[in-house]
Amino acid sequence: MTFQWQPSSPDHVPADLIVDFDFFDVPAEVTDPVQIWHDLVRRGAPPIFYTPRNGGHWVFLKYHDIVEGYRNHEVFSTYQTPIPPIEPFPVMQPQGVDPPQHDVFRKLLAPMFTPLAVRRMTEGLQHRAHVLISSFAGSGKCDFVADYASIFPTGTFLELFGMPEERLPEFLELAHTFFRSTDAEVRAANLRDIYAVLDGMFRAKRDYPGSDIASTIVTALDEQGRPYPWQDILNCGFLLFVAGLDTVTNTMTYVWRYLATTPAARAHFRERLDDPSAFLVAIEELMRINAVSNLFRRVTHDCDFRGVHLRRNDRVILPNTVANRDPSVFENPQSIDLDRKVNNHVTFGVGPHRCMGSHLAKREIVVSLQEWLRVIPEFELAPEAEAGSSFGGSVMGFTSLKLLW
Amino acid sequence: MKVVANSSLCQGHARCEDLCPEVFATDAIEGKVVIEKPDFPAELEEKVRLAVRNCPEGALRIAKGVAL
Repeated sequence: MTFQWQPSSPDHVPADLIVDFDFFDVPAEVTDPVQIWHDLVRRGAPPIFYTPRNGGHWVFLKYHDIVEGYRNHEVFSTYQTPIPPIEPFPVMQPQGVDPPQHDVFRKLLAPMFTPLAVRRMTEGLQHRAHVLISSFAGSGKCDFVADYASIFPTGTFLELFGMPEERLPEFLELAHTFFRSTDAEVRAANLRDIYAVLDGMFRAKRDYPGSDIASTIVTALDEQGRPYPWQDILNCGFLLFVAGLDTVTNTMTYVWRYLATTPAARAHFRERLDDPSAFLVAIEELMRINAVSNLFRRVTHDCDFRGVHLRRNDRVILPNTVANRDPSVFENPQSIDLDRKVNNHVTFGVGPHRCMGSHLAKREIVVSLQEWLRVIPEFELAPEAEAGSSFGGSVMGFTSLKLLW
Repeated sequence: MKVVANSSLCQGHARCEDLCPEVFATDAIEGKVVIEKPDFPAELEEKVRLAVRNCPEGALRIAKGVAL
């Protein structure tokens, strides 16, 4: 896209650090949205640069700078960070709060998402995957996004929150609008709808608690033995809704797209269905190469970072896909090595805000892939899917992925 | 040889547990690393080294020689 005009940049940004880059804009000829990030590196963009697009923000391109952005919350805050700026934005608990306040909800949620807790969910996930895959396996085709990747994590969310399966269409609709609508009025109404649903759910769980995550959150007591503020409880539910749906949907879609086009990779996983350790190593590599989310931070005070002057309230985007293919950290970073030995990718972030749902997300993908390959060992892209239909933004992905077998 | 963890750096990625469950586990409260076998046998050395190198937070290290 060519712009006829250039929005002005703030006066603390030197001209040689300005690059015109819009991370929502995926040109029609680009079939994979991660490419727009790698093109920046290929074109020789400065490792830290400023783009006037989307309200103006910084972009970090080096692994170690991105990691520092995640770890150093005294400079890079997670509070009120959206790009383009939306104020006020719901303060997601605990993602949108810096340490030490962040620790309160982190500690409350953590036990429900540990590897141990996730292992206990495995049977339920296997059942969900099996039922869903069986529903279309016989037809020899599907749209992976619509028929599987968007349904599976939403169904998982409902189950974890102790909500009946019948509400799936309603939650799918809420999630779809949240992640896809660009209309400001529709988005505002959607936010109100999501909060209304969360409010109803938490009220019901407060009155009749069960053993689910929503009940645990709503019945928890602080150190003084009081319930947490209602708004914090809603914000916590909002985070879990937002964080666990689209990210899993899009990562799955990337993974299946790769497998559909790579027979050797399908064989690699099929041969390791009964070798959990090797299966996990290969999945980790797919997590590295298919990092779908890029997180935001906000600069807390005027400072110099790696020789660049940052000003208080400047926004920064940390593109995980770029960090994960930094040649100073990863050998042959652009190639997929399903036996890669050392793989310190940042797909789930690092530091105090590391994605708490990462173990659940990975388990959803592992279980789905195992069940899928048992029922549908060979599959390919439908001819009309070659071009893909993708979108950029903070979470990148595909609107559709037609598969055949 | 002995493997040690700096639990203040650990953020619960659990890569160590995935790669070498013979030595590493994670707790049920925060999901942080628990070293179940700090004095690991020599045959596990390669796996332990791999786990150490795969910690995204750099929270693990191998200490040689005398007791810490």
